[in-house]
Amino acid sequence: MAGTKIEFDDIRIGFGKGSDRKEVLDGVSFSIEDGEFVSVLGPSGCGKSTLLTMAAGFLKPDSGRLVVDGKPVTGPDRDRGVVFQQYAIFPWMSVRKNIAFGLTLRANRRSRSEIDASVDRYIELMGLGGFENALPKQLSGGMRQRVAIARAYATDPSVLLMDEPFGALDAQTRGFMQELLHDANQEERRTAMFITHSVEEAIFLSHRVVVLTGRPTTVHEVVDVPVPMPRTAESRTSSQFIELRRHLEEVMRSMTTFTAAGAPQ
Amino acid sequence: MSRLLGRALWSLGGFALFLVLWYAVALAGVFPPGQLPRPDEILSTLVERFRDRGLLLDVRLSVLRVLIGVAVGCALALPVGFLLAWYRPLRLMFDPLISFFRALPPIALIPLVIVYLGIGEQARLSILIYAAFFSSVVVIYEGIAATDEIYIRAARSMGASQLELFTRVVVPLAVPQVLVGVRVALGVCWATLVAAELIAAQRGLGATIQDAAGFFQIEMVYGGVVLIGLSALVMDRLLALVMKRAVRWQERVGG
Repeated sequence: MAGTKIEFDDIRIGFGKGSDRKEVLDGVSFSIEDGEFVSVLGPSGCGKSTLLTMAAGFLKPDSGRLVVDGKPVTGPDRDRGVVFQQYAIFPWMSVRKNIAFGLTLRANRRSRSEIDASVDRYIELMGLGGFENALPKQLSGGMRQRVAIARAYATDPSVLLMDEPFGALDAQTRGFMQELLHDANQEERRTAMFITHSVEEAIFLSHRVVVLTGRPTTVHEVVDVPVPMPRTAESRTSSQFIELRRHLEEVMRSMTTFTAAGAPQ
Repeated sequence: MSRLLGRALWSLGGFALFLVLWYAVALAGVFPPGQLPRPDEILSTLVERFRDRGLLLDVRLSVLRVLIGVAVGCALALPVGFLLAWYRPLRLMFDPLISFFRALPPIALIPLVIVYLGIGEQARLSILIYAAFFSSVVVIYEGIAATDEIYIRAARSMGASQLELFTRVVVPLAVPQVLVGVRVALGVCWATLVAAELIAAQRGLGATIQDAAGFFQIEMVYGGVVLIGLSALVMDRLLALVMKRAVRWQERVGG
């Protein structure tokens, strides 16, 4: 398919040796189309972050095919921007320098004025005005992730990979960050893969949601989100939103029970 | 500013208390006459030595030796530390060896140093360089090896080359730990100075102490000890100031 950006094809991986061996991903297949925002939802420990780590190029599947932009993934690449769950912005650099970092690398070298223009744009887009010269330690968790997202956008990647970027934030900040990211990506139109264990978050942000089962993990279902774009805070109370949320919460609950009964920790 | 002043006052208070106790013990006659000089006697001996016997030269020589020892030792420890941190097999191979050499008191090596390097300045400096190298290399490589993988990954996902990873991520992240290594080396070098100056040194604080001990000039022995302590303290404070500036970005600033 011409419009396919990311394709996971029968991905398998396990960890550990001998009797300790745990199969985690047991033949996961799905794809993400150009311009699509897709969330991957699943119970904890199902390997959803592992999928993203593979797409980023930091981990190879035991078997299966992983293709981004028509090329098999062999390692990390500037075409795949990553936002991590942990705060991964550089603590010794100001907000401005963090966002400019990628553009100052040889791989994407830009002129001084291009860098400035680009950094200004993403500071504006992520609402970081006034914090340009702040150090990460002076910022809240939500602000740090805004910098991380701005930094990922700035290098102009073909796809954006986000690994539970709001996982460590409190509920209120989280809702706000979802709206900020949604608005930003409505402007940017990047293809995105977003890992989360929050049903609400997955629905709010995505065109489609890929639901994974518990270990050994396969794709449980892929659902289209019928809530029209662009979304606002009100979208959360629309009937389609609530209906889908009820359905996915039910699915998640059943899988959590199954996992708890089937594989006690 | 007032907080800084407050801190300075507290630390002066510690010294003041120490001096009071010293006077008390000296005046109470716990030791036979002449064995424990009073602080003012030590001070007047020092003043006299600075005036008439060029004691400043000894201070300068010792400070210079320590500085050279720390500079050369740490300059060697830096690349070695990076190599050991970067390549795990090297670390596994050399870590026990480094621990072995680090455990050796430099004073035990003096006879060997004399055999191979004679009794000149290079023999004394090599003892200090040895002490600085082995005390800082472990701190440096353990710090670098603990570099959070997440920053490396972040940089790689933006297209950083190996060289860029090193110069723009690993090195800046390592600065605080390298400075800790330098600070450790500085402390160890001052502690080793007397041993280094045992090797036929004519001048220097260590040599001064030994001379004074030979003639039983106990005031001057104490004076030398005080000067070594003061020089070490001043240099440590200066380095602490540098560190405070260099690691401003850290969430937990190590004093």
